[in-house]
Amino acid sequence: MNGEIGVAGVAIHAPPRTDSRSLEESIYAVTWAALRDGGFDIDDVEGIVVAGNDELDGRAIAVMMASGPVGGVDRDILSTPSAAEHAFVLAALRIASGQFANQLVVAWNPLEVDSFSDALKVGTDPYFHRALPQDELATHGLQAAVLEAKVPGVREAATAIVRKNRIQGAIAYPDRSIGVMETVFIASGRPTRWPLTDTMVAPPAFGLVAMILGSKEYLSGRKVKNVSWIRGLGWATEPGFIGDRDLSTVPSLDAARKQAYRAAGVKDASTFDVAEIADATPYQELLAYEGLGICKRNAWIKHVASGATARGGKLPVNLSGGALSFNPVFCAGLVRIAEAANQVRGRAGNHQVPNARRALAHAASGPAMHYNTVVVMEGGRS
Amino acid sequence: MKPPRVGIIGIGQSEFKARRDDANYPELVREGVTLALADAKRELKDMDAVVYSLAPDALLGIGNAERLGVDAVGARNKRFMRINTGGATGISSVITGWTHIASGECDIVLVAGADKVGESGDSQTILNKIWDPTYERALPLGTITMLAMSAVRAMHKYGLTEEDMARVTVKNRANAAKNPKAHLRKVVTMQEVMASRYIAWPIKLLDACPQSSGGAAVVMASEKYIKANKLDAVWVSGVGHCSESYYMGDRMGKKIMADHADAHALARSFERSYKMAGIKNPTKQVHVAELYAPFSNTEYHAIEAAGVCKLGGSLAMMREGFFDLGGKIPVNPSGGTLCTNAIAVSALVRAAEVTLQVWGRAGEHQVKGARVGIASGNGGDHQFFGTMVIES
Repeated sequence: MNGEIGVAGVAIHAPPRTDSRSLEESIYAVTWAALRDGGFDIDDVEGIVVAGNDELDGRAIAVMMASGPVGGVDRDILSTPSAAEHAFVLAALRIASGQFANQLVVAWNPLEVDSFSDALKVGTDPYFHRALPQDELATHGLQAAVLEAKVPGVREAATAIVRKNRIQGAIAYPDRSIGVMETVFIASGRPTRWPLTDTMVAPPAFGLVAMILGSKEYLSGRKVKNVSWIRGLGWATEPGFIGDRDLSTVPSLDAARKQAYRAAGVKDASTFDVAEIADATPYQELLAYEGLGICKRNAWIKHVASGATARGGKLPVNLSGGALSFNPVFCAGLVRIAEAANQVRGRAGNHQVPNARRALAHAASGPAMHYNTVVVMEGGRS
Repeated sequence: MKPPRVGIIGIGQSEFKARRDDANYPELVREGVTLALADAKRELKDMDAVVYSLAPDALLGIGNAERLGVDAVGARNKRFMRINTGGATGISSVITGWTHIASGECDIVLVAGADKVGESGDSQTILNKIWDPTYERALPLGTITMLAMSAVRAMHKYGLTEEDMARVTVKNRANAAKNPKAHLRKVVTMQEVMASRYIAWPIKLLDACPQSSGGAAVVMASEKYIKANKLDAVWVSGVGHCSESYYMGDRMGKKIMADHADAHALARSFERSYKMAGIKNPTKQVHVAELYAPFSNTEYHAIEAAGVCKLGGSLAMMREGFFDLGGKIPVNPSGGTLCTNAIAVSALVRAAEVTLQVWGRAGEHQVKGARVGIASGNGGDHQFFGTMVIES
């Protein structure tokens, strides 16, 4: 990728259920918060990439509604409905192309549909899978079931991850914590999509995230401090039909990691100070450990038990609490990237890793980690 | 920084029809891909990335339907993303393909998609759902009524007549008759257009685009890749986007942000593309235009937004044949969106057709000597606009 690109402003919003603001007002609020975080005004913004989901928004073209609240009128605005994290990728590419000096990225996940599950069931093909019925959580359950069949003891590591992330989430964002549980209660919760229990996942949440990215020349000219520089970027997809996949592996994550690590000159995950990785289920965090080179599956149980990926460990993972604590489904992946950026910007608040210099972000979205995106970020001077 | 040079090395269009019962959605995507790869003399394995062109999910009845197209475009374990800017999606996707390469991240990119608008039931019922559920959805708005209001405003502001509108249909149908890929290829007369039934006054049946099914694709590559592989190419010299307000009410009345008779943001988008391409006088420098105009009246404000003439000036020029095939600047020599509208790829086809024109490969609808062409796409409720300049 041409030139250096940095993340200069970040905002993550988790509106409380009592918040009476409309979706448009919330999008406006998160946009302004990200701009303010980086010391920008909307007049500074040259281009915008947004991501929303038509089915969850209840609109045939979700980007239309968002164009106003993100300042899109009279601007160059695009949308990537495939995934929220794709908006981040495209924003970076747009700056690297030299067409723009900066880009605003905004994504959201509303909770206005009568049934979140039904809205996502529409995402299956109408002939073979829709009648099953198969929502995204069901595909995550299938993935967990395959792992339980193939990796002895994996459930123990999975429940430990839920507890780890819930504890970390309670420290990071005590106001939105969904509670910390003993592992015995996590494993013995009510089955929701077997073998997943309702205590092993977080319910869908209303959430929004915004970021402002800029070129090195642009950010230097503005004397912007606290920049997270993108050193490596990778993204890839699984095939469309879940029956064509071996759900115990994630080849597209391998492909995305190779792209990102190669660009960043990174050989393995030991170089990172902190990581925010996809954890719609604890099994996904484990798969990501393997896919990102943190630890192979035969060492999952020991690695998690050792506390190596917990607060204070060798490579703390999901200090924000991850999606196991706060799950704005459609934009949960972009939240991972925003959290990682904040760590190397020194702006992660309660869950800041002291002197975090290099962060790893991994976003996964769609059925059973259909899309995978990997970002390597560094703080400090360009 | 000046963006690196990016070329188009192949295009593919399936035949567009009202129904394609013989091909399911991924198969229709694959049709365009196969043709584009053959045109570019490349294979799926050569692609560094795929940009997927798909507008509203609701037209296919499948959420995130791009996922079902992953294997049709050979993207498994590769870089892949979908773009949606409504009807502008196709050109936004081609521009995103340009971005992938100009960024230095990729050397060769496939941009592909398909739509089955003809099999969606009633597309206008679906498209009503693009509007705000509280304020504007209940009006009842469809894209036809929306642009009928634009025509009424143009009648008031510029003296547009129903005959002026019919003239565009007659021109574009005559062009489409020469284009083997077009959906509506039957030549029509002024009398036939004027006698067709009203859909939303003043738009009549023959002033309106069809609901088309079909697929299309473009293969793009870096200058370095093109030279290293000794490939033939045409060049993308300018790209741009701009958007208007979402709310129709913001374009009407005394406190308007943009006049609904015109295409203010399309003009801004063209300004951005022209600036990148170094075009200062489009009337002299542009040889051919493929402008997204799904209804006959909208071709006028698209021409004006392209900077070929002043606001309101295109009516007389159309009467004089300025935009005919054989005229000074032929507009929509393919027949345009008025004759073929598979929404997800309609604007991609605009770029593909300009590619053929400046390449000198447009066959019977070739504009003689065309070296510089422009393409545009409109999306949302006349809200998102994308534009390109393509040169040989």
